[in-house]
Amino acid sequence: MARWGMVIDLDRCTGCAACEVACKSENNVAAVSADQADMGRASSWMKVMAHVEGEFPDTTMHFYPRPCMHCDNPPCIRVCPVQATYIDDEGIVGQIYARCIGCRYCANACPYMVKYFNWYGPEWSESERQHLNPDVSVRPTGVIEKCTFCHHRLQKAREDARADGRELREEDYQPACADVCPTNAIAFGDLDNPSHAVHSLKADPRVLRLMEDLGTQPKVYYLRPRE
Amino acid sequence: MQGTAAKRGGFVRVWWGYVGLGLMLTAGIVIAAVLTATPTVPQPVAFNHRKHTEELGLNCEFCHVYVTKRAHAGLPNAQTCTMCHQATQGTSAEAARVTTLLAEGDPLTFNKLFRLESHVFYTHRRHVGIAELECATCHGAIAATERPPARPLVRIDMDFCMDCHREQGQTLDCNACHR
Repeated sequence: MARWGMVIDLDRCTGCAACEVACKSENNVAAVSADQADMGRASSWMKVMAHVEGEFPDTTMHFYPRPCMHCDNPPCIRVCPVQATYIDDEGIVGQIYARCIGCRYCANACPYMVKYFNWYGPEWSESERQHLNPDVSVRPTGVIEKCTFCHHRLQKAREDARADGRELREEDYQPACADVCPTNAIAFGDLDNPSHAVHSLKADPRVLRLMEDLGTQPKVYYLRPRE
Repeated sequence: MQGTAAKRGGFVRVWWGYVGLGLMLTAGIVIAAVLTATPTVPQPVAFNHRKHTEELGLNCEFCHVYVTKRAHAGLPNAQTCTMCHQATQGTSAEAARVTTLLAEGDPLTFNKLFRLESHVFYTHRRHVGIAELECATCHGAIAATERPPARPLVRIDMDFCMDCHREQGQTLDCNACHR
């Protein structure tokens, strides 16, 4: 059984936000107005967080692309009263929109703040509507949504592999963010499979995980920038 | 005498009360039935599945061309029908009408009869192409119908899918079918 995870090299990330754009486009994440965004109602399943170190003018800035951490011990699933969010056998934390009642307990329980509530129904212009990804549902008002590691891509990749009568390969399943990253800062694969890049990358001495002390055991690893 | 008339008056009032109650109940049931009924699906021509499958021996893939390859099985259109119906086939009035419609350039847009909720991830390729399920498993006796059914022949809901998945030892993971 695979255990899907991600390793992000902060030395390679330039903060270009291509991953953010690719994610929104891939997963039908609607844009909200500037007013709503100011009120914290914008959804961005993948968000590039800027971290500034030092005092001006001696500052350095690092970018932390932040998707859902797909924790092995996710705090969000413990509080969900209807089991709308759960962790599957391959370690992907799913969100079943049809089951979600919109109580937002999970959004509050998540220390990474990667769960987004749909305050309003998504609004699309006519041209945008034609570009919606048919493999991903358009979430209704009043449900929580989040990064799924592009689970629909796994479904398709697995189906392709089965149709061709072969095993699933590492390159078959890559989420949109990893796919578009121009500097290859985002590596994705099966953390338990020695032939996948992430397996050796997660053993790098530079590795760090966000808020690891909380015991959430995130499956998104970062490679600390070199001094 | 007076007492009997009063009694009869009371009886009539009660009787009318029952009638009123009955009418209200009937109206309620009718309204509920109308609100919950699956909408009927209109089709451009009265397609006879039995004629094409059982009598002419065409397989489903002949018209539903993507059934083993894609998520959607695909519906036939004017191009598909033209392959045979450019000239009138058989003696039925409907077949003659198809030829006329095609000559007029009608696109013959058929409508989907079986629909899944938008949050369901389903592919025909996986079920028909890879697992080699019979079409009738989910679509019932659609191949034997002589007129387009107004409503789906089988109610495909989550229990329907889950029962089969349990029987066949297939995945019961939420992510596998919900997108």
